[in-house]
Amino acid sequence: MPDMVSIGQPQQRQFNPYSENGGTILAIAGANFSVIAGDTRQSEGYNIQTRYAPKVFRLTDKAVLAVNGFAADGSMFVKKVKQRLEWYRHAHAKDMPLRAIARLIQTMLYSRRFFPYYVYNILGGIEEDGSGAVYSFDPVGSYERESCRAAGAAQSLVQPFLDNQIYFKNQRPPPGTSNPTHLPLHEVLSLVIDSFTSATERHIEVGDGLEIFVVLAKGSTTQGLENFANVQEMTQTREGERMFNIRRNLKRD
Amino acid sequence: MFLTRSEYDRGVNTFSPEGRLFQVEYAIEAIKLGSTTLGIRTDQGVVLAVEKRVQSPLIESSSIEKIMEIDRHLGCAMSGLTADARTMIDHARVTAQNHSFTYDEKIKVESVTQAVCDLALRFGESVHDEDAMMSRPFGVALLIAGIDEVGPQLYHTDPSGTFVRYQAKAIGSGSEAAQAELQEKWYSQMTLQEANILAMRVLKQVMEEKLDQHNVQLAQVTPQKGFEILDETSLKAVIDQM
Amino acid sequence: MDHFPTNWGRPRNDAFDAYGTYPIAQRPYNGLKDAFAEGVQHTQQPIVTGTSVLAIKYKDGVMMAADNLASYGSLARFKDVQRLHPVGTNTVVGAGGDMSDFQYIQSLLDGLMIEEFTEQDGHSLGPAEIHEYLSQVMYGRRSQINPLWNALLVGGFKEGKRFLAYVDLLGTTYSASTLATGYGAYIAQPLLRKAVEGNEDKLTEEEAMQILEANLKVLYYRDARSLNKFQIAKITAAGVSITESKSMDTTWSFAEGIRGYGSQTQ
Repeated sequence: MPDMVSIGQPQQRQFNPYSENGGTILAIAGANFSVIAGDTRQSEGYNIQTRYAPKVFRLTDKAVLAVNGFAADGSMFVKKVKQRLEWYRHAHAKDMPLRAIARLIQTMLYSRRFFPYYVYNILGGIEEDGSGAVYSFDPVGSYERESCRAAGAAQSLVQPFLDNQIYFKNQRPPPGTSNPTHLPLHEVLSLVIDSFTSATERHIEVGDGLEIFVVLAKGSTTQGLENFANVQEMTQTREGERMFNIRRNLKRD
Repeated sequence: MFLTRSEYDRGVNTFSPEGRLFQVEYAIEAIKLGSTTLGIRTDQGVVLAVEKRVQSPLIESSSIEKIMEIDRHLGCAMSGLTADARTMIDHARVTAQNHSFTYDEKIKVESVTQAVCDLALRFGESVHDEDAMMSRPFGVALLIAGIDEVGPQLYHTDPSGTFVRYQAKAIGSGSEAAQAELQEKWYSQMTLQEANILAMRVLKQVMEEKLDQHNVQLAQVTPQKGFEILDETSLKAVIDQM
Repeated sequence: MDHFPTNWGRPRNDAFDAYGTYPIAQRPYNGLKDAFAEGVQHTQQPIVTGTSVLAIKYKDGVMMAADNLASYGSLARFKDVQRLHPVGTNTVVGAGGDMSDFQYIQSLLDGLMIEEFTEQDGHSLGPAEIHEYLSQVMYGRRSQINPLWNALLVGGFKEGKRFLAYVDLLGTTYSASTLATGYGAYIAQPLLRKAVEGNEDKLTEEEAMQILEANLKVLYYRDARSLNKFQIAKITAAGVSITESKSMDTTWSFAEGIRGYGSQTQ
């Protein structure tokens, strides 16, 4: 809505090329899998623009990118990353490895250092050595590999929960035992779903739908994934990594 | 032959009626004036060897540089107008560095070879408002050796911008005899040490001077140590084993 | 030497894209330079504006609505402008925001359709393609900090599929079964969702028309920059049809009883 302006003092108007479109994304790496998720609400201010705008995108057979922030920059950025992956395939006759995609995203973001893509990226997938991996980025390209990361509107709600449940922060293991370094897939999926239902309860910009991507390393079992509702396999080549998509509803209020 | 080429061998951007670009063909001829250079691929790594023609006793033989590093996992040997190779290797080096900057991985041997070959046909007249890069084709052929995820590989490039992968390849003045010898002696189970010795033996056969550690240069690319030019002591050790 | 193959054969320019890496997306510009570039003012605010556009999906396709007013601030300046623009035989673009920018967009689209027609290659641009094109134009202009100050709805029907999507001056895009721009996003959108969500395949043409007219009426009562003269477009398998301008019966007698409006003594 247009602001009320008082007449009298001079005013400067400047077009603001950015906006924030809410939503939250999250990724968790397991020993031989990676889970990348995002809600599907797109909003601006108090308006829900749409209840279904995907923020998580399949890049290759083993890489998935989640994008959050300014939606127009986000879709343009994903488009350009996909274009670069295609060029790379033509030039080098192979799919780009995950860590190469991570570095590419850094250079692409930093090349716009002085007019940034206002997006937080989380890249998940399987590394060349078969391990599950998550890379997270800031809008101008700083990045690191991590075990888990949440970003977006409800980052401040979800990340502390993940720190506690994945990194076991502020948890002391029972005497004579130690905390696990990697959680099994079914536990990770439960954490993801709990994260989003909780974020939906407490954050107005999160809700409507949840889209989860699961990437399984070459040769690993489905680890109980088949018991989930609404699982859709999107694997393209049989003998490599496997990719799955899970859709769930979140509260729409 | 001379009759047909007389009208069409001047311009670098005119085909002859038979569909040939004579300047490119002449450039390929220029390689045959260069010193003999060869490369051998084994499962353990790739070997590059060159003859250094020391035409005068006053020449410091160590200043003749015909094998160069492109990246830690890539090397290159040349024959022909070696000054032209500097431009190509410079481009190869920048391309390799740029690749590892952008993708955080080693560039593939084929990709760096393709990048060098992309340069080869950038000669000729410039279109309006554009800068021409070169007036003539390169007069040099390269043997590019390297190791990537595919394994050890050896590529040959020529002034036409064509590149082909070889198990063993010889270029330069003694290339015909050397290639025949390589074809005879190369086998797939060859060790790196055997390849080093074979390289020296083949060079010895085609060289006019007596081969020693001053008039040849030997380099190898291995998974353990990457690209390295053998120093005189290691080179002498190989020669002594011949 | 310049090691970027995309620059080969072109003058080098370090001032341009100093941090760029291979392959450089844009090349140095060698064409004519605009000597008055620094004196050019970009759109900083809309001038003559249109208000809400509404659109819903229904059984047979997509229906859109917009009134005929173009305002100059609070002045109802032009009362016979059409804000629903047909593009080809499968698409309608509806616009709120700056009307001169919208006219420019219309000329872009007309040019695009003529180009596409003259190709005679068996391709025709459908609503999805028109929307993609418009989002590239809008995002491109916002990236030059010279936006086309509009919020656009693209509705269409092609090859048995309904299409409805939004794009605005920032290049933001989305699609849903009900869309509304401007004040409509606040006032009409909740009502539209209640009426349409889940009923997209059941609503008849008459019902869809009723829903849109009811919402236009609500907007006319609440939005001071709206007009009781509007058009409704439908895009179905039969193609595009846009109604003549029409109006609805409204009731204002209750206003007399409202304090501060009618003639109260106290």
